[in-house]
Amino acid sequence: MASNAETWLLENGNLKCLSKEMRHGVRTAHNMSSSSLRKKSEIALVSKVPYRFVRDFLANLQEVILGTKLSVLFLAIPFAIAAQCNHFGRPWVFALSLLGLTPLAERVSFLTEQIAMYTGPTVGGLLNATCGNATELIIAILALVQHKVDVVKYSLLGSVLSNLLLVLGTSLFCGGLANVTKEQKFDRKQSDVNSMLLLLGLLCHLLPLMLKYSRNSSDVFALETTVVSLSRVSCILMLIAYLAYLVFQLWTHRQFFEAQEDEDEDGDGIAEETPVIGFWSGFAWLAGMTGVIALLSEYVVATIEAASDTWGLSVSFISLILLPIVGNAAEHAGAIIFAFKNKLDISLGVALGSASQISMFVLPLTVIVAWIIGINMDLDFNLLETGSLALSIIITAFALQDGTSHYMKGLVLLLCYVVIGACFFVSRSPPNQDPANVVDFGMKSSAHGILRV
Amino acid sequence: MASMQEQNWDLESGDCIQKETSSSSQTPSSSILSSSFLRRRPNQERPPVGMFKQFLNNLRLVFLGTKLCVLIPAIPLAILGQCYGFMTRQQWIFALSLLGLAPLAERMSFLTEQIAYFTGPTVGGLLNATCGNATELILALFALRERKILVLKYSLLGSVLSNLLLVLGSSLFLGGLANLKMEQTFDRKQADVNSLLLLLGLLCHVLPLIFGNSIEPQLLDDMDQNSVVWLSRTSGILMLVAYGAYLFFQLRTHRQFFEAEGEDEDELSENEAVIGFWSAFIWLVAMTIIVAILSEYVVGTIEAASDSWKISVSFISLILLPIVGNAAEHAGSVIFALKNKLDITLGVALGSATQISMFVVPVSVIVAWTMGIPMDLDFGLLETSCLGFSIILTAFTLQDGNSHYIKGVVLCLSYAVIAACFFFHKMPAGESLYQR
Repeated sequence: MASNAETWLLENGNLKCLSKEMRHGVRTAHNMSSSSLRKKSEIALVSKVPYRFVRDFLANLQEVILGTKLSVLFLAIPFAIAAQCNHFGRPWVFALSLLGLTPLAERVSFLTEQIAMYTGPTVGGLLNATCGNATELIIAILALVQHKVDVVKYSLLGSVLSNLLLVLGTSLFCGGLANVTKEQKFDRKQSDVNSMLLLLGLLCHLLPLMLKYSRNSSDVFALETTVVSLSRVSCILMLIAYLAYLVFQLWTHRQFFEAQEDEDEDGDGIAEETPVIGFWSGFAWLAGMTGVIALLSEYVVATIEAASDTWGLSVSFISLILLPIVGNAAEHAGAIIFAFKNKLDISLGVALGSASQISMFVLPLTVIVAWIIGINMDLDFNLLETGSLALSIIITAFALQDGTSHYMKGLVLLLCYVVIGACFFVSRSPPNQDPANVVDFGMKSSAHGILRV
Repeated sequence: MASMQEQNWDLESGDCIQKETSSSSQTPSSSILSSSFLRRRPNQERPPVGMFKQFLNNLRLVFLGTKLCVLIPAIPLAILGQCYGFMTRQQWIFALSLLGLAPLAERMSFLTEQIAYFTGPTVGGLLNATCGNATELILALFALRERKILVLKYSLLGSVLSNLLLVLGSSLFLGGLANLKMEQTFDRKQADVNSLLLLLGLLCHVLPLIFGNSIEPQLLDDMDQNSVVWLSRTSGILMLVAYGAYLFFQLRTHRQFFEAEGEDEDELSENEAVIGFWSAFIWLVAMTIIVAILSEYVVGTIEAASDSWKISVSFISLILLPIVGNAAEHAGSVIFALKNKLDITLGVALGSATQISMFVVPVSVIVAWTMGIPMDLDFGLLETSCLGFSIILTAFTLQDGNSHYIKGVVLCLSYAVIAACFFFHKMPAGESLYQR
C-alpha cells in the first residue's frame, strides 16, 4: 500500500517524503467525518492501461470522481448544463443543479483535506475554515450579485439552523438509539466556545431588529442608514471574533478540538492518512470543481423563482430548507456515522463548527462584499427568522451544556427543526414588500396551506 | 516597629488604639483588594511626631497615594471654569469634570476601606456595598434632581453593561492571554448568585416594558401609565429586599463563597489602616461633596457636550460616563486576572453590577417617588434587550467554572457591538431628555 502512495506522488516529479507529523496532522473533526463517505480506490482496474501517464491520469480521475459513494449524483451535472443550454423547464434545471451540487461539496472537502496533508495542520485547518463551506459562500455571493438579498439571508440562516438542529439532532438521535446501553459523553468545552460565538452572532442580528421596533426610531431613511452602518460595523467585529476563534482553535488551545485518538480504530475510513493525489493535481481539481460549483450555483439562483412558482413553495422555504439540506448532505452523513460509533466529539465538531463558520465568517464576508459592491445588505433578518435563530441557539446550548447525550436530545432538536420548517412552509413572505408584513400566517385551512410567493 | 507606627498615627485623634494581631487576619473583600493595586506603597519612614507633619503626610497619602493622581488637577480647573466663566464652551467643563471623577471614585473606595479596618469586616462590607458605587449613585440623584430621567436611566444601564461585558471581558481576555498555559478556574457559586439577582432585576425591567407595549398606544391612558409607575415602585421595593437578603448572605451566613483566596504576602501586607478613623471620615465627606459638585456639572453640561461633539446623549450616558466611573475597578480587575485570581475579578465585576442593578436603581426610583417624579423601570425596548442579552451571555459564560481568552473576546466584542448600536442610533429631534 505504501508503494501505491509513492506511485501517486511520482506524478509530481519529486518523491516527497511526508513526515510523520504531517501524516497525522490534519485529523480535525471535519476531515474525519467526510472520510466516511470515501471508497477505497481500486487500482486493479487502472493498472491494465498501458501508458503510464494516461494510467496515472485515469487513476487520478477515478480517485477524485468516483472516490465517493455520492458519485452517482455527478451525472446530474452534465444534465443540468444541457438542460440550461437547451432551455428545458427551469424547475428541472433547478432540481438537477441542486442534485449536482451535493457530490461537488463533498469532493471539495476531500480535495481540501488532501491539500492540507501537504501544507501541515495549521494551514490545513485554515483552509478548512475558509473553504469548508465554500458552497454556501458561492451561492450567497452569486445571489448577492443578482440583487436577491433575501435569498442570501434565508440560505445562510437556513444553513445555520440546519447545522444546529437537523445535523446535530439526527446525529444525536441515531447515535443515541445505536448506543442505548452505553453512556455517551463529549467534551463540553468545544461546544461552549461555539455556543458563545453563536450568541455573539445572535446579538449582531438582534440589535438591528430592535432598532427597527424601538419607539425612538425616526424616519425610515435615517433608520435604514443606521441599521446598515451598524450591520457593517458588527460584521467587522464578527470577523475579528472569528479570527480569534481560529487562533484559539489552531494554535493556543488545539487540545480542545483534537479528534479523539482511539485504540481500536477500524481501518475503514481513518487509516488513509497519506494523500492519494499530488498537490498540484489536487489544486487543479479544486479550482475546476469550484468553477463547476459556481456555474451550478448560478443556475440555482437564477431559476429559484421559477421552481418556487411551479412547485408551489415559497422562495423563503426553498432557500431556508432545501438549499442547506443539499449543501450539507455530505457533512450530515458523516456526522451521523460518527455518532453511530459513539464518537460524539467529531459530530459536534462538524455540526457546531460549521454553524459557527457560517454565522461568523460567511455571513459577515457577504455583508462586506455587499458593501464593496454597493448593495445595502444589513443583518436585520426580521422577527420570525431571528426568533427561530435565537431559540435554536438557546436550545442547542442548553442541550449540550452538560456534556452527555441521549436520543431524546436528538429527537427534540430534530422536532424543533421540523416545526421551524413547517412554519416557513405555511408562511407567506414576499421579498419585495414591507418587512413588517412578514409575520403573516395566512393559513385558512390545511388544504390551502401552501401559499405561493 | 509596627505597633509604634500605629500609636503614632492615632495620636492625631487623641487616643491610642490597641491593634490586636488577630484582627489583621480579616480577609479583605474583593473590591478592596482590587483597588489596592492602584495605590502606591506608603513611605515606610515616619517623620517625627508633629501635627503639621502628620497633616502633610495625611494629605500626601490621600492625594498622591494613587497612580490616578495626575487627573486630580482637573477638579479645580473644572470648578474654576464653571464658577468664573473661564470656559465659555461647556463641553470642556464636561470633559474636565469627567476626568476629575475618575480619581475621586478611587480615593473614595480607598477611604471606605480604611474606615472598614476600624469598624470590622461586616460593617466594612456594608459600607462597601453602599458606597462602592457612590459615584454612580450621586450622578443618578443629580440627574433626577434636574429631571433628566433619560440620562439617569442610561447611565445606570450603561454601568451594569460596562461591568458585565467590558470589565469582565477585558479581564478574562487579558488574564487568558497572560496565563495561556495554566488552567483558569473560579468558584462558580458566587457567579451563580449574582446571575440570579441580575435576572430578577431583568424581570423587573421587562414587565413594565411589556405592560406598556401590550396595550395599543391610542388606548393607553393615564391610568395605565400610572400602573406602570406603581409597578416599578413596588418592584423597586422588592429589589431592595432581595439586595438586603444578598448582603445578609454575603456578609453573614455564606461568607466563604465570597472570601478572596489566600493572600500573597507581597501586595497585601498592608492590612492595617494608614490613616486615622476620623481623618478618613472627614476626607470621605469632603470627597463626597466634591463628587457631588462635579456630578452637577456633568449633568448640567451633558447636552452642550453632546451637541458640540456630535454624539448622542444616550451614547455619552451609556458608554462614556460608566467607563470613567468604573476606571479604577476596571484596572484592578484586569490586574488580578493577570495574576490568575479570577475569584476577585468576578467579585468586583459581578458584585458591582449587582449593586447597581439591585440597589442604586431601586433607590433612584424610591427617591423619585419621594420627589413626586413618575420614574418607572421601563428602559425602552432596545436597552432592555441589550441588558437581557448581556445577562444571559455572562451567565452562560461563567457557568462552567473555568475561563480562557475567547470568553473575554466574545464579551468585549458584544460590548463593542452594543456601543456601535448606540453610536449610530440618533434620537429624533423631538424627543427630549425629560420624558420617560
